This record gives sequence, C-alpha cells and structure tokens, in this order.
Amino acid sequence: MRLLPKLPPSLGGRTRLRKAEQKAAMADEAELAADQHVRYIVTVEKKKDSFESLVMEHIRLNGAYWGLTTLDLLHKLHAVDAAEVVDWIMSCYHPESGGFGGNVGHDPHVLYTLSAVQVLCLFDRLDVLDVDKVADYVAGLQNKDGSFSGDTWGEVDTRFSYIALCTLSLLHRLHKIDVQKAVDFVVSCKNLDGGFGAMPGGESHAGQIFCCVGALAITGSLHHIDRDLLGWWLCERQCKDGGLNGRPEKLADVCYSWWVLSSLVMIDRVHWIDKEKLTKFILNCQDKESGGISDRPDNAVDIYHTYFGIAGLSLMEYPGVKPLDPAYALPLDVVNRVFMKK
Amino acid sequence: MELQQEQESAGEHQEGGEEQLAQDLLHAFQRILHDDPLIDEVGFLHPTQFCSLQVEDDDSNSQHPEPHHTRYLWCRDHKLAISAEILPRLYRAARDAYCNARVAPLSPTHLLRHTKALLILCPDLLTAWNSRKMVLSAEYGFTKLKDELQLCALILSYSPKNESTWSHRRWVIKQVAEQHQDMSEIIENESILVKEIAEKSKMNYRAWRHRCWLIPYMTRKQVLDELKKSTRWSELHVADNCFFHYRRSLLLELLESRLGNGEDSLSWESETYLLWKEELRWDEMLIRHYQGRESLWNHRRFLSHWWIQRLLTVEETCLSTMSQVDLFVTQEINLLSECLNDPEDEFDESRVQAELSALYILWISKQVPALKGKLEERLHPISMGRLQDVMERACRPEKRRLWMNLLGLVDQSR
Repeated sequence: MRLLPKLPPSLGGRTRLRKAEQKAAMADEAELAADQHVRYIVTVEKKKDSFESLVMEHIRLNGAYWGLTTLDLLHKLHAVDAAEVVDWIMSCYHPESGGFGGNVGHDPHVLYTLSAVQVLCLFDRLDVLDVDKVADYVAGLQNKDGSFSGDTWGEVDTRFSYIALCTLSLLHRLHKIDVQKAVDFVVSCKNLDGGFGAMPGGESHAGQIFCCVGALAITGSLHHIDRDLLGWWLCERQCKDGGLNGRPEKLADVCYSWWVLSSLVMIDRVHWIDKEKLTKFILNCQDKESGGISDRPDNAVDIYHTYFGIAGLSLMEYPGVKPLDPAYALPLDVVNRVFMKK
Repeated sequence: MELQQEQESAGEHQEGGEEQLAQDLLHAFQRILHDDPLIDEVGFLHPTQFCSLQVEDDDSNSQHPEPHHTRYLWCRDHKLAISAEILPRLYRAARDAYCNARVAPLSPTHLLRHTKALLILCPDLLTAWNSRKMVLSAEYGFTKLKDELQLCALILSYSPKNESTWSHRRWVIKQVAEQHQDMSEIIENESILVKEIAEKSKMNYRAWRHRCWLIPYMTRKQVLDELKKSTRWSELHVADNCFFHYRRSLLLELLESRLGNGEDSLSWESETYLLWKEELRWDEMLIRHYQGRESLWNHRRFLSHWWIQRLLTVEETCLSTMSQVDLFVTQEINLLSECLNDPEDEFDESRVQAELSALYILWISKQVPALKGKLEERLHPISMGRLQDVMERACRPEKRRLWMNLLGLVDQSR
C-alpha cells in the first residue's frame, strides 16, 4: 500500500501554467509557431542540469533524432553544426559490436542504432559508417522464428522487427537477413481486430501497429493487411476533441498523430478521419510563447511530442512543413536521396 | 522550475563540500538499501513534505543512525523517502560511481550495489540493467533471481510503466524457467503483481503485456483459473481494455490447447461452448450495466465473431428446424434496438452506447458477410430501415466518413 505522499505537480508534474490572455489568443487563431519551435529545439540541449534532463541522458541519441528531424521538417537543419553532430554520434558507436548506444558509454541497442542511421541520413553522411559492420550487428539479432531481439539479452518486440528492417533497408543490406521469416513473424502478431501487438497475442497498440505496418511496407508485404479492418480500428482512435489515442478507452495524445496517421497513409485510409479537427488539436498543444508541443493542451512540452506533432502536421500536408515518408520516418527528400544513390 | 530554484539555493550554501556531500549521500543511500532489503516503497518528496516526516519521527523518538542525512533520506517500516532537493546530486554521484565501477571492474557485489542505487533513481538505464544481467548469468542462483524480482517489483511500485524494468523481469523469469520445470508459483505471484499494479495504474499496456506473455507457461487448468478469478476484478474495471484483451488471449489459448493435449474432443467441445456462451451473457450484462464502454463492445465483437462462425459450421453439417444463427442475430438486433432507444442522460453515455451498438452491428456485417442479408432483414420488422439509416441515426457526424466508406457509399474516384 502506498503510504508516502506524492510529489506535487509543480515539481515532477506536467501542468503548464499559462496566462489567461495567452490562452484566449490561442483559441482565436491556431497556426504553427515554427520559429518558436526551432528556438525551443536548439536551446533544449543547453538545459542539461535539471533532473528531468539528467534522467534522459541515456536516450540522447533518440532525442537527437526527434529534434533534428523536426528541424529538417521546418527547413532549419542548418541551425546546427553538422560536423559536431556527426562526431558526437560516432562517439556513441561500438566498433566491436557494430551497434550504437543511447549516449557515450552506454551499451548498444537497435533502438539507438536506427536513430544514429537516421540522423546520418539527414546529414547525408552514411559514408562515416562501416556499413557492413552495422548491418551485421542488426542482422545478427534475428532469431530463428524471424523475430528480432533488441540487443544480445534477447528481449523480442515487433518494434525491433521494424527497426531492423528500416535500418537494413536504409543501409541497402536487407539481403543479410531472412526477410520472409521477418515478415512471417510480424504477421503472426496480427490480432482479430486488424491491429498488431508487441508479440504474438499482444494487445493492439497504435505504436506497435506503426512498426508492423512500416515493416510490411518496407518489405513490400502490405497485402498481409486487411486494410478496411485495420483502417477502422485506426479511425476509432479519433476522440471527441479531434486528437488521436493509442488504443481504446485512452485519452488523445499528440504522439499518436504520428503513429496512427502514418499507418493510415501506408494503407491508404487516411481520408477516413477528420483531419481538420486533428490539425486543430495538435496546434492547440503548442506553447506558442516558448516553443515546443505537449501531449495534450496545457501540459508541459517536450522534444518527443514536438517531433510527433509536427510529423503529424507534415502527413496532413500542413503548409511550410516538409513531407515525411510514413514508413522510414524521415523527410521524403532524404529518403529519395538514400535510394537514388543505391 | 521551483525545484531548480531550490537546488540552486541549496548549492550556494555548500559550494565547497559539494563533492563530499554527494559522496556521503550516496553511501548513506546505499547503506539504507543494504540494511533494509525489504523496502517496498520509495517516494521522492518535496523538502516541505520531507520535513513533516521528520516531525513525525521526532514525536515517535526515531533511532536513525545518521542524523546528518535525515535532512534528505528517511527510511522506516520499509518505506524509503528521498528529498527531491538532492535528486540531481544523488543521481550524478550514483551514475559516476557506476561508471567508475564499469571501467575498473570491482567485485560483482559492488556492481550490484551501485546499479541498484542508480536504477532506483532512474529505472530506464538499460546499461545498468545489463550489468546486473551479466553478474546474475555468471552463476545460476534461485535466491538471487528472486531478490531481483523483488527489486523490479519495488521499482514498478512507483514506475509501473517502466519498459526496461518489465523487460528485465521477463529476462529473470526466463532464467528461472530454463532451470525449473514448475512455473506455477511464479505465475501465481506474477498474476498478483500485475493485478495490484493494474489497480493503481489503469490501462497499463506493459503490465498486461507481461501477463499475456506468461500464458504459454500456463497449464490448461491455470488458464481456466485465471479466467474465473479475474471475473470479479473486471466488474470493477470495465473500462480497462487491456484486461479484456487478456481475457481474449486466455480464451484463444483454450481454443488452441485442444490440438495439443489429445483431450476427449467431445468434452472439450461442450466445455468451450458453455464457456463462450457464458462469456457472451456476462458481457451483455456488463454492457447493460455500464453504458458506453468501448472495451465491453470490443469484447463483444470478438466473442460474436467466433460464435457466429462456429454456429455457421455446425449448421452446415446438421439440419435443424430452428436456426441458431437466426436466433443469435435476432438477439443482437434486439440489443441494438434497446441501445438506440435508451432515454438520453446528462453524461452523454446513452448516445455513446447507441453509437457503439450500431458500430458493433456494422462490424458483424463486415466480418461475416454471409450474415449481412439476415441482419438487414431483422432491422425491418422493428422499423429501423437499412443499416445505413441506423448508422446515420446513431453516429456522430465525424464518424460519417468511416461508415460511409465501410458500406461502400462513397464515390471511390474522389
């Protein structure tokens, strides 16, 4: 039983206190505060001393991917020093294994390996990689049943299947694995409601669905999906407030704008939802003064939701935002560049 | 913001001895963890909250061994409180101690001690969990693995959604499963743990995933027990879709287990038939009791789908004067009709109920196309018109796109 009191929201809590007039201004006219978001992303790195930042250190590579992709979507990637970023990314590399850790001195995992490869794609710097070594690391994590472990300790998840396929595809090394078996495993995680879970029999979840649909899209296997059925499940994620939730009975959250929309785009059912209401929901989650986007209106912003909010707007062709590839989760021009060079 | 200011002012006072203070704090923290292995709760408290704990202590004549640290750390009756004021310093000290221990390998005991302190402060650190796995996998010890499960349970008590902790827990259980054939006790304990966590942390995907993950380790009897035991729990948590998914996984496991154990197929048939029928009845009872719950209607979609297909198969092989499928369809249409005609209430629940019931009928007509005609037929006598009229009447305008597309009423060349 819980006996100790909980930390008040002003400390660990997530409420953003906002002036009444600012709120009134927001309701009138909702548009993307692109400049503020850029400033927020560029400065977020400098606030390193808070406890919140400290406990995020270990996933800094994911943070770099979210922040830098957002900058690129807003045509501002040049606001950071590319050489500096690439150097830092390579300092997270483990030459013995071929994988990347979440930060310098952390163990390698596919979660960070994909982020590293994606960021290098943004800067068109895949040349710094020992591509075969990295690809071998990922390929070596495929199990007999076609699934992928996240690292050498063996946890299996459909997220890791997506990550492996996405990484290998970006590196033009899909031939290093048994693609058919990888697809079969993903298909074995399909539920009767049309969605996908983290493992065979796992509950459908929008995040896992993105991973499974993305994995099938990358391998040209979307025919395994009942588009109407999955499209239905995904459309039922739209809540009364216009935002999307990740599974039944949950509140809307900006991050699902990405997970749900990208899946809908891949299965060609995005016209089944109310895009106008969703756009409004995302724009209402902005901190228009200091930049950044939160999970829901009035909550504290973070880099993760800032990325997913803008990614969602990109998929809805919001003016001024670059188009994003729904399967590779990278700007379309970046993906085209990667595959043109092949 | 407030927290940062607190830290800054605390920092100014102790500029010189900063490093030493952090070291002392870490040692005190590790000593507390070592001296009381049964700690079952951790709280991170605001300094003012923390002070009130000490006042209580003074009243009850505390015997804390380190008066210097009572300002930041407090432990009694297996409850550990940490003042939020020192979290960044304590975390940095724990992190640095762990990093040093990795560079110059200390004894496994030291590594376990350092990672424990660090993971209690930041359970997300995959690398620290990996160090523990490394130590634990060097030599199999059931007691050590049980201690590990306890550490995970402690962290999950205040971080119930922490992915790394759940993942580590599964790794530990796999180690045990590889050595021990009998998993019944572990499964029992895991079920209780997830149930307790699910009570405090609603719709916890990771907790329920953990429970689903254990199903393959269960015997058929355990699967049946799990189904029975959880019925009452669910009546208090009707909105927890994760729970209903868990029930569906248990039901599917029962269906699959027929192939495996060569049981008498007739008794299996009748047992499953009764179980399913009862589940449908129970779900309908909940639907009538708790209006507008998506999780209950989702459960019904699943149950009806299998049920109808089974009835259709049976009817193909034996001739009967009364069609069971017709009976079932009539029953479901009656449920729809009741939901559509419920009087309005102030909480909007009856409107949601009507929409969910209409979508449910649409679902059946899409999933079992053979039934579409029968459904439409049954709608007429109770003057509800066509399926699209039902949808028009029951659904919010923003759902229009969805059902129009599903019924093929939208011009695809758009």
